[in-house]
Amino acid sequence: MTYEAVIGLEIHVQLNAATKLFCDCPNRPGDAPNRNVCPVCLWLPGSLPRLSQEALEKAVLACLALNCTIQNESAFDQKVYYYPDLPKGYQLSQHHKPLARNGWVDIVGADGGLKRLRIHHIHLEEDVAKLVHETEGRTPISLVDFNRAGTPLIEIVSEPDMRTPHDAMEYVKALRAQLRYTGSAECSLEQGTLRVDANISLRPAGTEGLNTKVEVKNMNSIHNVGDAIAYEIVRQTECLEKGEPIVLHTRLWDPERRVTAPMRAKFEGPCVPDPSVAPIVVTDAWLEGIRGRLPEMPARKSARFMETYGLTPDEAAAMSAERDLSEFFESVVAQDLPPRKTAGWIVSQLIPALRDRNQGIGQTHLTTERFAGLLDTLEKEIINTQSAREILVQLLDSPAALEEIIQNGGFRQLSATGDLETLVDGVLADHAADVADYRNGNPKVLGFLMGQAMKASQGKANPKVLKALLAERLG
Amino acid sequence: MHEVYTYSNASPSRITPEGTLADLRVAVQPNLAVRGWPCEAGSRALSGYTALQDATVVARLVKAGAVLSGSSRMAELGFGLAGDTSARTLVDGHADVALITDTMGEVRLAAAGSGLFGLKPTHGLVSRHGLAGLVPSMESIGLAAADPRMIAEILAVMAGADPDDPSMPDDCTAGFSAAPPSGTESLTAGVIEESLSSLDPEERLAFDAGTACLETAGVTIQTVNLADYGLFKDVHHLIAAVEASSSAGKFDGVRYGHRSAVGKNWNDMYLNTRAESFGPLLKPFLFQGAYFQFERYLAFENACRLRCRLVRAVDDLLGKVDILVLPTRRPASDPAQAATIQATYAVFALTLPASVTGHPALQVPNPGVAADRDTGLQLIGRRLDDGRLLAIGQHLSSAAREGR
Repeated sequence: MTYEAVIGLEIHVQLNAATKLFCDCPNRPGDAPNRNVCPVCLWLPGSLPRLSQEALEKAVLACLALNCTIQNESAFDQKVYYYPDLPKGYQLSQHHKPLARNGWVDIVGADGGLKRLRIHHIHLEEDVAKLVHETEGRTPISLVDFNRAGTPLIEIVSEPDMRTPHDAMEYVKALRAQLRYTGSAECSLEQGTLRVDANISLRPAGTEGLNTKVEVKNMNSIHNVGDAIAYEIVRQTECLEKGEPIVLHTRLWDPERRVTAPMRAKFEGPCVPDPSVAPIVVTDAWLEGIRGRLPEMPARKSARFMETYGLTPDEAAAMSAERDLSEFFESVVAQDLPPRKTAGWIVSQLIPALRDRNQGIGQTHLTTERFAGLLDTLEKEIINTQSAREILVQLLDSPAALEEIIQNGGFRQLSATGDLETLVDGVLADHAADVADYRNGNPKVLGFLMGQAMKASQGKANPKVLKALLAERLG
Repeated sequence: MHEVYTYSNASPSRITPEGTLADLRVAVQPNLAVRGWPCEAGSRALSGYTALQDATVVARLVKAGAVLSGSSRMAELGFGLAGDTSARTLVDGHADVALITDTMGEVRLAAAGSGLFGLKPTHGLVSRHGLAGLVPSMESIGLAAADPRMIAEILAVMAGADPDDPSMPDDCTAGFSAAPPSGTESLTAGVIEESLSSLDPEERLAFDAGTACLETAGVTIQTVNLADYGLFKDVHHLIAAVEASSSAGKFDGVRYGHRSAVGKNWNDMYLNTRAESFGPLLKPFLFQGAYFQFERYLAFENACRLRCRLVRAVDDLLGKVDILVLPTRRPASDPAQAATIQATYAVFALTLPASVTGHPALQVPNPGVAADRDTGLQLIGRRLDDGRLLAIGQHLSSAAREGR
């Protein structure tokens, strides 16, 4: 029998608000253990939660970016379970009345067509503390670091609209791009600021029901999300073919062995309305204020880039995928540089160079002014393309001025006809046999001679001038 | 150890000698945080725990010149009055006012047992920040004293918006005044017929004598009906148990309080700690709450719906009359009488309604009978009408004094 996978994702995203969700402690889980704690997040007797306005606003921005409807009233519930990482004995989360419902993101499906994936709801919740189990030594001990306890999260629960690992990976990418645009979250799977839990079930192809699902956790990259789902589809298919029932449980992805392994029976604690956190009541005026802070999102920006700058759809998509890069592009273009050429340089040179360094633009010495200067110098044929590539590397690495780099590196290209004539004559004299070959009707030799001449100029000759000279000399 | 106090203030110095509450002595229960004082709330779960900061009400009282005399003994986490010595601090002359957390009617019955006034304020009027509570949606920091004017003065200082307690509803944080409206004439009081069915003939006579005094004071008495009266007990029991189970989830021995010495891993430590921490009355109550949370959630939801219905019913009555009058009954003097949950609820049957609905309720010593009799009056007012209740109480008590 052929099976179809039904995949839904639950994604936890850490908001980058300055404080925790219910107190004023810094939202910096990575600090020295138990540095960022107070009576509220340690839940000492008599403490009461105080909802962070900033976290709420960032959550609402994120929900709007994912096309959700913000609910007029949402409220916190106590998700009850007992574990030492949970100081209250319950987690404050929104179960009955989530912050937002009915969103979506668009992805390009494996068939190349546009596919809309729906979001069921998004709710706010607090993160738990971190447990460290020390098993070495005579007495094993468990330590608790409460820095993370109470930090703000949103959980984005999708509809089970995904069918393939491709869908899931594209969904995570699209969602991450939208969220990063809002500035509400960093969304790094590697650093755990975006965590994906996948629910996977199978059904005979062509049927509609939902069967027992298995939850898979612990994927710390987009590729792992795809691989874990692919593995789980194969594993469940084999189970079904052997006649083994699928049991509701949670599995962990093991990135070393590249398999999923059972972790525990899935446990859902009861959710009781919390009597201490006031309901979140959203007024139209307030919501409009937040909506006004939503930046121009990638799809709209991409359309505008095509319209305003004449970019191709691919170029426009590349220039609008990340907010900081799109803003970089626009401010370079604003300095009177040709948009398509700028986009081409960003895609073919800047992005690969940043990837090699594993850096964002902000972490380098490159500014829009320096990049615009580089392209301008190239446009004016003061340097050639080959030199420009080398200069870009230096602009990223050092604070030295563009002029200085060009001067010190001797990057200025040779355009003076007199200098190049001497150079060309020398090359032609050195390669008399090839010149004869060319004159006997072999046009391919021209490229070879051009290369030799460029080499003789140490890469600094203006290729246009050089080519014209060669053509003239060879007659 | 002192038999009334678990902690006695050895250096009762005041900060603001000219404050509005200058020299007023206030006793607290050890579930209310006073910086540096033990805050064990009558529970082994909090043994050795010392408060790190003042509760909001404590800070306000001290700032207004009040002197904290000490903290009394209390039932475990304020569930009932077993072993509670709050009222004794007043009767024995150690304090002028006692702060007693009211969840089922504790401040009202503690006062009734000693011929005092006891106010459970409108729920949400007084900040709960610093109260190591058990049932957040029902508990209020109540006040007991011999003189209702003292209660009014203290309430004025304690009430009002607190950034540390954002759960306080807007109507409670916007400029509350405890100043009593003048006069009791032309007021109408409703006696809930259903509340009288549990009284024996002698208690009924005492209650009628009390309402007769209200009439003498110019209050018109009429009988009203509350068909759902019988629901208060079950609604309170179910919701309070569920909230208590959640609230007590924090007592795990990880960060403070008692921690079991027994156990081979953290899971064992966790289970043993909780098993050793709670007493024989509270433990089954927490079990009941956990049962409804985990196994009978719909019953809990139904109880919440019924609670809304009861709030509406009481609001409707208070749209027709100015106040409601119920009896109070002096609690059994032997705390062991209330050693079971059922017995505890039986003791508090008459005070549960205002705890469920959040309306203000004042226990008034019955002016119609001798001071050592068992039946008092309980006045229930509209939301934020706490000042009016105290004014009526004051009027009754001075009329009774003049009449004698």
